[in-house]
Amino acid sequence: MQFIKKKRVLQQQMRVTAGLAVMGLMVMMLILTGCSNSASPATPQAESDRVMEVTDEENHPGDEASDEPVVVRLSGGDYGYPQPYTTHSRGPGRYKVNLIFDRLVEKDENGFVPWLARDWEISEDGLLLTLYLQENVIWHDGTPFTADDVLFTLAYSKAFPPVGYGGLLTDDAFVEDVRKVDDHSLEIYLREAYANYTEELTALQIIPRHIWEGVTDPESLTGSEGVIGTGPYQLTHYDAEHGTYRLEAFYDFWGPSQAVDVIEFVPVSDEVLALENGDIHLASIPVDVIQRFSDESVYGLIDVPGVWGYRLRMNLQQRPELQQREVRQALAYAIDRQDLVDKIARGAALPGSMGILPPDHRWYHPNLNPYAPDAETAKALLASAGYEPGELSFTLLTGQNQEVRMGELIREHLEAVGITVVIQSVDSNTRDQRLAEGAYEIGLTGHGGWARDADYLRDRFAPAAFDWSDGVPGYENEWLTAELNRQITIMDEQERKASIMAIQEALAEDVPEIPLYFNTGSTVYRRDIYDGWMHIFDHHEVTHNKLSFLNR
Amino acid sequence: MDKRKTVGRLLTLWVILTLNFALPRLMPGDPFLHMSGESGDVFTTYTREQADYYRHYYGLDEPLIRQYGHYWWGMIKGDLGYSYAFKQPVSEMILRRLPWTLLITTGALLLSLAAGTLLGAWSAWKGSRWQDSLFYTGFMVISEIPAFLVGLALLVTLAAGKNWFPLSGAKTHFMVYENWWQQMGDIGRHAVLPILTLGLTRTGGIYLLVRNSLRTVLTKDYIRTAKAKGLRHRILMVHHALRNAMIPLVTRVAMQLGTLMGGAVLAENVFQYPGLGTLMSRAVTARDFPLLQGVFLVMTLGVLSANWLADWLYQQVDPRLKKNHARRQKGGVS
Repeated sequence: MQFIKKKRVLQQQMRVTAGLAVMGLMVMMLILTGCSNSASPATPQAESDRVMEVTDEENHPGDEASDEPVVVRLSGGDYGYPQPYTTHSRGPGRYKVNLIFDRLVEKDENGFVPWLARDWEISEDGLLLTLYLQENVIWHDGTPFTADDVLFTLAYSKAFPPVGYGGLLTDDAFVEDVRKVDDHSLEIYLREAYANYTEELTALQIIPRHIWEGVTDPESLTGSEGVIGTGPYQLTHYDAEHGTYRLEAFYDFWGPSQAVDVIEFVPVSDEVLALENGDIHLASIPVDVIQRFSDESVYGLIDVPGVWGYRLRMNLQQRPELQQREVRQALAYAIDRQDLVDKIARGAALPGSMGILPPDHRWYHPNLNPYAPDAETAKALLASAGYEPGELSFTLLTGQNQEVRMGELIREHLEAVGITVVIQSVDSNTRDQRLAEGAYEIGLTGHGGWARDADYLRDRFAPAAFDWSDGVPGYENEWLTAELNRQITIMDEQERKASIMAIQEALAEDVPEIPLYFNTGSTVYRRDIYDGWMHIFDHHEVTHNKLSFLNR
Repeated sequence: MDKRKTVGRLLTLWVILTLNFALPRLMPGDPFLHMSGESGDVFTTYTREQADYYRHYYGLDEPLIRQYGHYWWGMIKGDLGYSYAFKQPVSEMILRRLPWTLLITTGALLLSLAAGTLLGAWSAWKGSRWQDSLFYTGFMVISEIPAFLVGLALLVTLAAGKNWFPLSGAKTHFMVYENWWQQMGDIGRHAVLPILTLGLTRTGGIYLLVRNSLRTVLTKDYIRTAKAKGLRHRILMVHHALRNAMIPLVTRVAMQLGTLMGGAVLAENVFQYPGLGTLMSRAVTARDFPLLQGVFLVMTLGVLSANWLADWLYQQVDPRLKKNHARRQKGGVS
């Protein structure tokens, strides 16, 4: 009997121990997760207390109406420590870097605007570029900024290219020499005239010589010294694990005062719900739910320019049938781009032009053959090229999700003119690799940058080497190649524009690829929080440029 | 543990670790080639020279066999490598995120265990009455719904609709906690929906197992004997029936520890929870080999240990197996 009693007591004790163990385990998890918040060695949080004093009156010249700092909260996620070498190449990380560091030249709605370079001159022959730098600029640590920092950045970037940098200013084949004239001006001697030189001045963020000199592994500079720039904002919080950033105004900034005092980036699960919930103050809203916001006065809407688009690429090497211009033209007549806009983009897009440059490009040619959908013309063109209905068949390489639906619609369009299409859907990375290797017949791809300088046409249709990451395998047009190579040497803007117009005419006739559509739609923001948002001329996101956050 | 088993396990480990190295590299796609994205995505397109520079920088231009050598040497030293998409040491990234995944998986396991066992026992006790049929059909359906759908439903109803729980993340961002309890409360509140998502999808399996196992046990002779002794119903159910019905559950739970990791990937992505699941999906998108290897390693080790634990636990809780095992050790029955 006593034995049974003992056994029961033991069992009870064991049950209590097991219960305690489970509870202990849960508490341990909570403690571990709690501790991990402050475990990031890269986090300059220790400094945050010092810079957090944003309500201080004298530190607050930009906001006269109210003492309350303007705090804008945006959709975040981890895109790397925001210095030029540790930001991620995918995602909007480099735009955060640009809030902390400055470039020589910035962009606004219409074009290039002076920034760290208050002015610049190009010699008539296009071979000498003189930069005049802003004076009274200081780094976030108080050190004055001079031409030495620019010279240093150029040399350092040549030795260690920053993430995503592919500019020409560090290329010996392009730049002959860089000389400092005085503390606030320098001369860059070029080997050849290059019409798009201003774009090159936006390619680099200037880093402080006094900090980076001697740093041999730029990816290791992840302490607070790594984010000392001359830009309008300072990083006061970064948490890689949670994907949060906090940037606060640097009130000794040399340029326009900050209209937003604090920018916070937080991860969100669904942008629509997060905006409604007040978790974030701006979001790209799908056209189907825009009504929920457009009727509410607290929200403002901004139209997005059509500079992010999809194109259908053709591989003339894999499918020699596509060497015949009539076949390519037939595809352009067969694919109803407006139908894609209506059904896939739900109306929130602009159909592409066969001149390649999109309608929102500053040098868009408005008077080209519109290739209005016409099955009969397409069939006639195919017949003139010697193909009967049903004779041609292509494999269409697409990405996933929306692109598959787009592919299905294109298949319907092409089947209506007697071209069979087999859709091959792969993930984005696989598609990119196959496009770059030329391992496809026809392929769908979507990306931004369509409103950049028209020189990108040269990369696509007259690539220097057999690099198919952007080019059209097997496509050759002697006149076009020569003209594309000529336009970049024309320093007179009007003359160059005429050349680009002629190039668009030739492209629209030749149809080496088919731009499908360019996303437009709306960005919705909380009007009561901040309403100074703007687009720069070549980008679709209002939060990706620093002018959006400044008083101008 | 016999020698054969140890060798078998080491061999499994070697195969898994080798697959772990090979699989990310077998995936088509280049880590430094970004040319396209989903609608509106932003990315940097590298030139061929830039991509070559990075391949060289991260040692991806070396022969595979050398990379494999580095991989093993790194693991022996406890170094999981350096993530070239995130530009951080992989082990550091994993260690910071692992507790979050463990928190929601442990929570979900406990929740599904408690709910599944209670409801399963109740259902079995109800016999063939309508309550049992209702629960049975209900759980059959629930257990087939993918975790991300359950997560989305909870997100829309309980977070966005009722505003009871936060929409995403694991804590309130930029919050300075006044005390430890406030911090734990905040973390707990953020963990509720991911735990519910994972827990709900797992409860069905446990419910069905307990219900079926208990119904079988209830037909056994010793239950009839116990009934004949005039034992109270509660004692009969808990001490005689449920205890015996729980044996297969122990294995099931241990095995589930592994599969829970898979569910966590989906649940974390729905709630942007900063665990290994979100990390893995980003590593796949970026084709970040060292990070993928690291995450896979932790997950496979988790599954393997869960299986070994199940094996061991089963021997401990089932007296018949224990006896057989002891006899085998002595060289008796084969």
